[in-house]
Amino acid sequence: MSVPAIELTGLSKHYGSFRALDNVDLSVPEGSVFGFLGPNGAGKTTTLRILTGLARASSGEARVFGTSVADVGNDVRSRIGFLPDVPGFYDWMTAEEFLRFAGSLFGLSAPVLHERAGALLDLAGLTDVHAKIGGFSRGMKQRLGVAQALINAPSLLMLDEPTSALDPIGRKEVLDMIASLSGRTTVFFSTHILSDVERVCDTVAILDRGRVVAQAPIDDLKSRYGAQKIVVDVARNVSGLERRLAAEPWVSAVERENHTLTLTISDIEAARSAIPAAVVAEDTGLIRLEGGEVSLEDVFVELVGGER
Amino acid sequence: MRGFGAFLGKELREITHTWRIWGLPGFVLFLALTGPVLALLTPELLKSMSGTAGMSGVVIQVPDPIWRDAYLQWTKNLTQMITWVLIVMLGAMVSGERKSGTAILVLTKPISRPAFVLAKFVSNAGLVVVSIVLGALGTWVVTFAAFGEAPVRILAEITGVWLGFAIMIVAVMSLMSALVDSQLGAAFLGVGVLIALTIASMWGPALEYSPAGLLNAPNTLLMGQQTSTLWPLVTGALAAVVCVFGAVWAFSRKEL
Repeated sequence: MSVPAIELTGLSKHYGSFRALDNVDLSVPEGSVFGFLGPNGAGKTTTLRILTGLARASSGEARVFGTSVADVGNDVRSRIGFLPDVPGFYDWMTAEEFLRFAGSLFGLSAPVLHERAGALLDLAGLTDVHAKIGGFSRGMKQRLGVAQALINAPSLLMLDEPTSALDPIGRKEVLDMIASLSGRTTVFFSTHILSDVERVCDTVAILDRGRVVAQAPIDDLKSRYGAQKIVVDVARNVSGLERRLAAEPWVSAVERENHTLTLTISDIEAARSAIPAAVVAEDTGLIRLEGGEVSLEDVFVELVGGER
Repeated sequence: MRGFGAFLGKELREITHTWRIWGLPGFVLFLALTGPVLALLTPELLKSMSGTAGMSGVVIQVPDPIWRDAYLQWTKNLTQMITWVLIVMLGAMVSGERKSGTAILVLTKPISRPAFVLAKFVSNAGLVVVSIVLGALGTWVVTFAAFGEAPVRILAEITGVWLGFAIMIVAVMSLMSALVDSQLGAAFLGVGVLIALTIASMWGPALEYSPAGLLNAPNTLLMGQQTSTLWPLVTGALAAVVCVFGAVWAFSRKEL
């Protein structure tokens, strides 16, 4: 069994009486594109700051490829690439100068640096950009941020909210870059944007108020936690059917669109027998009855949204 | 000390690629070039005032200026204006990158925090040395042109002694800016150190053995008075080492 890329054991971080992280256990398999999902203030950035050595844990342990980040910081940092949520660049440098500088901190030789800087500028779509970074758009800076995080060909790439402040085009560009890394390196990707996770990640952990409330491959998570959905398409009297089903104790929500009802249910067995009976009783005529798709958003809301 | 060379290279390129190449060197050179001219013209200006309204009948006698007056301007600029400018300018020496977010990108790579702080200290001390040496050279050239005489040795002595003090100030500011995130706050603490040294310089033993002796040393040397700068330089160097180590310790403990 291979060593996890990231392993957090009982990790806690306190700021006075506030618990930013509360006894977090997490394991990120090597080679995965891992979504670290949570609402703002859940503790995602704090976790990344501890993993990169920018902050110290109050208790517990953070390991990267089996090595504690607290003990041998520089050795761990040699193997990781990191993009903070708001990357700060030297505005007087060009993109190529920054990549060369970043590579020099890893002790890369000149030929390797030349080759990698060229390839990464190409990946970031900045090859023909010779302006100073001070004149870059937010999207260009974020793409350069991903590129600089890859200069050492890291075994683990950690990205903190890489798309949160981007416009749709910038978001697509950065997500495409991340998706292109799948299978080449482990990506640990923190975000509160669910659609980004669904698009590029294969495994996800959900963090809420400093605690991991779920961790699994996305499909497992949907089937395990997501409330079941059933779509009922009828020919007539949809209002009567809606009223009847909404009164059932196993129906937690009903959405109606024309003659289609989407039911969020808590008891699949009860629904299987009761829905056909309700259709007959209301004489609606059945066109379609099928399972609906559970989104990560449904899982997220179920896990962290209930008490908000 | 991993990453020291690479980061020092960045620091030096930053000086040459930004306003910093014009800031301190430009200011020092301006004072250095205008000082001797001011020394040359001051007596004439004073004499010309005797004929102005309210001054009629007053005779102002001023001896003819010599090279020493030009050097006096230089020492006055060093010990007063340039010292204050250094303190304010270096208030964000370490904290500046923390506030701008660039430190996060740098320090998540394999560069140690001691290397980060030491590279900042070395590059800023280098900038100060180059600026002051250029300034001294400028003062010498203009003094020679204006007065026909400009002794090199005494100028080298007063500049050298003050550089010892300036490097200690750079070290003090590296500590202050590692402790305090605000540039103004760090500068305030730096001014506090300067005031403490000024007060200490009024006490004989402190003047003789502590870095406080470096404050007045350039003027004392210029006036040809007997003074020993050995102990102030030694204790000043020790204070600088302690401050740099303190800055490394403080910055290493900081969470970013």
